[in-house]
Amino acid sequence: MVDEAPVLELRGITKRFPGVVANDSVDFDLRRGEVHALLGENGAGKSTLMNVLYGLYHPDEGEVLVKGKPIRLHSPKDAINHGIGMVHQHFMLIPVMTVAENIVLATEPTHAGVLLDYGAANRRVAELSKSFNFAIDPGARVESITVGQQQRVEILKALYRAADILILDEPTAVLTPQEARELFEILKTLTNEGMSVIFITHKLNEVLEVADRITVLRRGKRIDTVDRQGATEQGLARMMVGRDVLLRVDKAAPEVAESLLSVDDLHVVDDRGLEAVRGVSFNVRSGEIVGLAGVDGNGQSELIDAITGLRRVSSGLVTIGERDVTGDNPSSILDRGLGHIPEDRQLRGLVLEFSLAENLALHDFDKPPDSRWGWLFPRQLIRRARDLLKQYDVRGGGPQTRAAALSGGNQQKVVLAREIGREPSVLIAAQPTRGLDVGAIEFVHRRLIEARDNGKAVLLVSLELDEILSLSDRVLVVYEGQIVAEHGPDVSEEQLGIEMTGGGREVAA
Amino acid sequence: MSVRAEQLQRAAWTKASAPKTIGICGIALGILTLSLALPPFGVRTVPTPVAVGILGAAAGIWAISRREARIGWIAVVLSLVGVAGALLAMRATSSNLEGVFVWSALIAATLRYATPLTFAAIGGMFSERSGVVNIGLEGMMLTGAYFGAYGADKTGSWVGGLFIGVLSGALLALVHAIFTITLRADQIVIGTAVNFLALGITGYLYNEHYGNNGTPNNLPAVPDVNLRFLAHIPPHGFGNFLYNSIGQLNLMVWLSLLLLPISYVVMFKTPVGLRIRSVGEHPKAADTLGISVYRTRYAAVTLSGALAALGGVFLSIGFVNSFTENMTAGRGFIALAALIFGGWRPFGAFSAALLFGFSSALAQRLPDLSASESAAWPVLFQTLPYVLTLIAVAGVIGRSIPPAAIGRPYVKQ
Repeated sequence: MVDEAPVLELRGITKRFPGVVANDSVDFDLRRGEVHALLGENGAGKSTLMNVLYGLYHPDEGEVLVKGKPIRLHSPKDAINHGIGMVHQHFMLIPVMTVAENIVLATEPTHAGVLLDYGAANRRVAELSKSFNFAIDPGARVESITVGQQQRVEILKALYRAADILILDEPTAVLTPQEARELFEILKTLTNEGMSVIFITHKLNEVLEVADRITVLRRGKRIDTVDRQGATEQGLARMMVGRDVLLRVDKAAPEVAESLLSVDDLHVVDDRGLEAVRGVSFNVRSGEIVGLAGVDGNGQSELIDAITGLRRVSSGLVTIGERDVTGDNPSSILDRGLGHIPEDRQLRGLVLEFSLAENLALHDFDKPPDSRWGWLFPRQLIRRARDLLKQYDVRGGGPQTRAAALSGGNQQKVVLAREIGREPSVLIAAQPTRGLDVGAIEFVHRRLIEARDNGKAVLLVSLELDEILSLSDRVLVVYEGQIVAEHGPDVSEEQLGIEMTGGGREVAA
Repeated sequence: MSVRAEQLQRAAWTKASAPKTIGICGIALGILTLSLALPPFGVRTVPTPVAVGILGAAAGIWAISRREARIGWIAVVLSLVGVAGALLAMRATSSNLEGVFVWSALIAATLRYATPLTFAAIGGMFSERSGVVNIGLEGMMLTGAYFGAYGADKTGSWVGGLFIGVLSGALLALVHAIFTITLRADQIVIGTAVNFLALGITGYLYNEHYGNNGTPNNLPAVPDVNLRFLAHIPPHGFGNFLYNSIGQLNLMVWLSLLLLPISYVVMFKTPVGLRIRSVGEHPKAADTLGISVYRTRYAAVTLSGALAALGGVFLSIGFVNSFTENMTAGRGFIALAALIFGGWRPFGAFSAALLFGFSSALAQRLPDLSASESAAWPVLFQTLPYVLTLIAVAGVIGRSIPPAAIGRPYVKQ
C-alpha cells in the first residue's frame, strides 16, 4: 500500500565543497510505505545528500521538508527527533558492548534518573526485536554476533528511537547473498508497518529487487526518478554512467595450456590458531580463470595469504610453474611470476601516503632500471608511472599525486597497473571489484579477461556470485576451509549458493 | 548459531576445568612457598620451600600446556618469586624477620602507599575510558600535593588545602584537555609537557614561598580515623591486629576505599558511564546518537585531574605532612601502570595499587633484615610495578585491552 503524500521532501539541495559541487539542486521525495532507491556511482553525491538529510552536513541551498513542514537539521540529534534513522555503511556499533547497550545509548532507561536500568533496557530491546522477528539476544556482545545481525541491531537502534524514515547506506556491501535476501524481507515487513526506506546502492540487481521507485544521481545531479515497473538494468546503468555499459562480459573460449599454479593438500592456521584451510588442492592453468566462490570467512583470505607467502603454511605444497615456493618469502614468490591484487586495496594494495609513481614501483624498486648500486632513480619511476597510468586509464592524478587522493575505482586501477603490468604468469585477484561502481567494474573485468587471453593463469576469489559466474572458466566452491565442489562455467547461482553454505553434502555430526 | 557456540563453550569448559583446578593449586602452592619461610611458620630448612615451589611451578606448567596460560603463568611466577623470597628470608635471623614481617604494620603501610596510587589510577580511568591518554597524572598529582600543602598553610585548615589542591589539579587537567581535545595535539607529548610544567611550577612556587626552610612543621593535616573499638573485638590478639592494621588509618585512605564502589557504579551502572565508555570506544557512533564527544571528554579529563590531585593532597598533608620538590617521584606513572595492569577497571586498578603498595611497604622495611650487609637489593622491589605492567601489556597473563579509541583525537565532521 503506497500513500501518495510524501513523508519527506528534499527541494533544490545544493552542497558545495572546495572545488566540487557534490549536490547540484537535487530534488528527492519519499512516500509513506515505499522503498525509494538512490542509485549512483561512487562520488555521484549519494552520501552527501544523505548526510545533509541526517544533519551531518548543512546544505548551501535548498530545504528539507518532513511531512510537509520545512525543518532545519543541525545535528544527527535533530534528524533523530524528526523520526529519521540511518544505518551507516560502516556500522556505528561498539563491539565490546552488548546489543542492548548499543541500542539504548544516549536514551537510556534509568532507575530514578541515576542508575541505568539494564532490566528495562534488555526487556524493551527483546520486545522490539521480537516484534520484527529479528531473533537477537539483547545481552550478546556485538562483536560476537554475525554481520547480518549487527545490521539488524543498527536497524533496531533507529526503530528504538521511533524512526519512521530509515536510510540504509550501501546495506548489502557487507552481507552474504543469503543475508541480503533476509534484509530485503525485513524491509518488506518495515514498509508494511508504514515505515519509509531510502536505499542507497550502486548495485543494479538489488534496486530492481527491492525498490518501488528509483532516483538516479550522476555527478551531483538528479538524472531521473523512475518506477521499478518498466525499469531495466541496462537503462539504469546508462543513466548512472551516462553511456552504454557492458553488463555481461564478452569472452572467447579459453585456450588452456599447462598448469602454472598448483596447490596440493594445503593446511593453514588463522590468527586465532584454528585451522582455516584444511587440505585444499587445485591447480590453475595457463589461459583460464578459476573462480573461488564462498561466503566470507571460509578460509579464502588465509589461502591467498599462504600462496603469496604472507602466512605460514602448516603443511602442503604450493607450486608456481615448476618450482616449489612453499614457505618462501613474499618478494621471492612475486619474483617467480606471481601477481597479487589484494582484497583490501587501501590496506595492502597501496601505501596511501605514497605517490602513484612510488606505489607503482613497490615490487621492483630494488632492481634495475628503477635503482642501481643502492640508488633509486625517481625520474625513472615517474616515467614508467606516466606510461602505466595512461595505459590503465587512471584519472584524478598524475605520477606525483598521493594515492589517498584518488577515488576507489582509480586506486584499484593503479593496483591492476602494477600487478598486471609486471607481466606475471599467475595472477591472484581477491575481490577485485569490491566497492567499485559499474564503470570501474567493467574495466577491471575486461583487464582480467585480457590477462587470461594473454596466457596467464588467473585465480579469482570473490564473494559476488555474479562476478564469479561471468568471468570464470571453472568454479571451485570453498566451505569451512575445504573445496566442496567444482563446476564448469554454466553452473546456476542457486546451486553455488547451497554449496557455499554447507548444503548438498553430508554434515558430519 | 548461538546454540552451537554455547555447545562449543560447554565443551571447552569441561575440557578446561581440570587444568584450571591444577593451575589454581599451583597458585596456592606458590603463595605457601613464601609464607612457609615467614612468621608465624618460620621454616628454616632450605628443601621444604624449594620442594613446595617446584611443585607449584610444575602445576603451573602443566596448566599452561593444557591451554590455561593465564592461571598457569600466575602459578609459575608466584612459585618462583616464592622460592626466591623464601631463600632470601632464610638468610636473615628469625628475630630480624619477625621485626620486618609485623603483618598489621605491613597492612597499614600497604594501604597508605596504595592510596595515592588508587586516587590517581581511578582518575586515569575516567580520562582513558573516554579516549584520552593521561600521562600527565604525575604532574596533576604533584600540583595537587603542592597546592594542598599551600592551601592548608594559607587557609589554616586541611579542608581548604584539600579544596585548593583538587582545584589546581582540575585546572591543570583542563589545560591537558584543551590541547588534546580541542587542538588535537598528541596526547603523549602534551601529557609529558604537563608533567614538566607541573614540576617547574611547583618547584618555583615552593622555592619562592618556602625557600630553604621547607613547609612549616605545623601544617594542618588531614586527620586519622581512630577506630579504638576494633581493639576490643575478641579474641584479644585479633582485636589488636585489627586495630593496628586498619584502626588508625588516615581519613583519605578511607575516602579512597569509598571512591572504589562509587567509581565502579558510575562507570558501569549509569548512563553517564555508558556514555563515557562509548566515547572512548567509538566516538563517531556516540556522536551520531547525539552525545557530545568533546564535552564528555572535557568532563572526564578534568575529573581525572581532580582525582589525581586528591592523591597528591594525601601525599603532602595526609601522609608525610610536608611538601618537597618532586615529592610524587613517579607515583603518577605507577598509578598509570596500576590502571593498565588492572584492565582499566576500578577494582582491578585497586588490586594492582595494593600489590605495588605492598612492594613499597616491604622495600621500605627490608633493609632491617640484614643490617650488616649492604642492603641495596630491596630497591629492586620498586621496579615490580613496571615488570608486572610489562607482563600485563605483553599479554602473558591475560592481555589488558585498552579502550578502542584511546589516544586518537576526534574530528567532528
